[in-house]
Amino acid sequence: MGVRLGLEGEGTDAEVVRDVLAGDVERYAVLVRRYRDRYARFASRMLGSRDVAEDAVQDALIRAFDRLADCRDPNKFAGWLFLILRNRCYAEQRRRQREGRPLAEGDEAFAGPDRPDGTLEQLEQGRALDLALGHLTPEQREVFVLKHYDGLAYEEIGQLTGATVASLKMRMHRAYDRLRDLMREHR
Amino acid sequence: MITGYHPLVKRLLDGELSLAQLPPELRAEGEEALRLVGAADRAPVALSPAFEERVMAVVRRHAASPGRRAWRWLNAPREVELRLRVRPWAVWAGALAVAAGLVLLLARPAPSPEPRGGTQQAHVGTRDSVLVRFVLFAPGARRVAVAGTFNQWDRSATLLVPAGTSGVWTTTLALPVGQHQYAFVVDGARWVVDPAAPAVADGFGRRNSVVAVTAQGGRVL
Amino acid sequence: MRTPQLAVGLVLVLSTVLPHGLGAQDVAARLDGRVPPEAQRAVRGIAADAAARGLPVEPLVQKAIEGGAKGVPADRVIAAVRALAGRLGEAMAAMHEAGVAAPSGDVVEGGADALNAGLSGGQVRELMRMSHPPYDPALTLRVAATLAALGVPAKQTVQLLAGMISAGRSLGDLLSLPGQVQTGVSHGATPAQAAAGLARAAGGTPPGRSPGWVPPGQRKGHPHKP
Repeated sequence: MGVRLGLEGEGTDAEVVRDVLAGDVERYAVLVRRYRDRYARFASRMLGSRDVAEDAVQDALIRAFDRLADCRDPNKFAGWLFLILRNRCYAEQRRRQREGRPLAEGDEAFAGPDRPDGTLEQLEQGRALDLALGHLTPEQREVFVLKHYDGLAYEEIGQLTGATVASLKMRMHRAYDRLRDLMREHR
Repeated sequence: MITGYHPLVKRLLDGELSLAQLPPELRAEGEEALRLVGAADRAPVALSPAFEERVMAVVRRHAASPGRRAWRWLNAPREVELRLRVRPWAVWAGALAVAAGLVLLLARPAPSPEPRGGTQQAHVGTRDSVLVRFVLFAPGARRVAVAGTFNQWDRSATLLVPAGTSGVWTTTLALPVGQHQYAFVVDGARWVVDPAAPAVADGFGRRNSVVAVTAQGGRVL
Repeated sequence: MRTPQLAVGLVLVLSTVLPHGLGAQDVAARLDGRVPPEAQRAVRGIAADAAARGLPVEPLVQKAIEGGAKGVPADRVIAAVRALAGRLGEAMAAMHEAGVAAPSGDVVEGGADALNAGLSGGQVRELMRMSHPPYDPALTLRVAATLAALGVPAKQTVQLLAGMISAGRSLGDLLSLPGQVQTGVSHGATPAQAAAGLARAAGGTPPGRSPGWVPPGQRKGHPHKP
């Protein structure tokens, strides 16, 4: 995550945020385009479903717009947006828990782009892992997704979530064990 | 019964060790662990093609009528003394979306001492003026003006003033009844239409906002 | 409300707000310092031309000043002013055809706006004809122009205004139409849908009147006809 340089002519995050706050509402589309895919992946892994994730990302982007004036450091828009999305994902997870609907199970498969080069076994393993993620606690799932799907370092995850590296590692290591157990059952 | 990975294998998964650095007896477990984690599908997840447009449609709506709770009271026309007592703006702090303009019809037309009747000369503009408040939420701006048909498009004739510390800019003008075109000018150079008002082409490739000033409560018949 | 003359007097408020008969010197003085120098001469020429044809000059001056204020390059200012002058001429011709010999500058400008927004000469004439006192044709035309610019189809725009006028709605009600369409659009309706909703609401009788009530001046003939 962190600061991302804009595409030619589109502007950095800070520039776009400034423009939007100065009244150019249409410029917000730059940020929508810039972050929707990245956060779609995170949200879909957290929530176990692409459709639910799409709603969550949409809500997060709109909420971020509504409170854009509160973004204290426009250079850190990405992280700020992430927190909004993360809260939204947690809220969704709590809601589903209350309603007795576990994540991932029963939800439709991810509609990722077709990958003809993937073997059936790889796809099955990937799908199995997705399902297994649903059985982790939200904190475990989050650190696993951020590290192994989004490729962040522990320090970056710590900056985003506010947790210490030590506590993140503890959660992660528990997640590894739980996943091993779940995947073994799958086999 | 959960059999967890060996702590060294976990460090392998964390990226702190390589497979070669594991003791030989742990290599098999290490490979199994790497396969598990390697199954993570990192392919981007495609959202629906209309996603961006859906988000922007809502964003535009919010820009035109932000934080409906906080702003609802503004939409009710109010009578204002000519001295213009300003309400506390604190309710807006932090609760609003980005730049939104609002034009409020505030006052009844100033009563005319001339008898209504007869001649063609009737009333001159100022007697049938209505106080109109222009509002722009632009916390990032340093200077905001409004320019339009009513002030010869002069960028410095009608400056807005900050109302409190919440990023709201405002001014009040007496405008004749009828339709006027205008736009806000932010920091002297950026022309911004009022997201809350109808907009029409200006003939230069941009747009102007339109405000209809009505004699509030007044009917001609 | 005593006499139709009062209505005409109030109607004239709109046109007396704008100065008419702008002399050539006034034009030059107004443009100086506000419009790119390269454009000033051309705009003066277009304005003189317009004045000779009996067209209002004020809208041309306003448009040039607007372009200058917005930092528009000289050639675009000239093009926009020239285009506006053309539309003013067309509007004038349409009004002559409607039997209005000497429309005020405000009315001609309203007609130009309506043409610019996509209404036809015939629709401009229709709007003129339906706008008898107290309905100022300049106002009707301007409102129509704004509605059409918002995306309400031209034919529907005319019908909506006709409905409002025959229902005896106030000028204020007409003026608020664009804002109401805007609100409808912001809630997800198309401009046509929003306008249709307003037309349905307009069909009702205004409060305090009996159904079948006809505004004064509407019963016989057309007051604008000489």
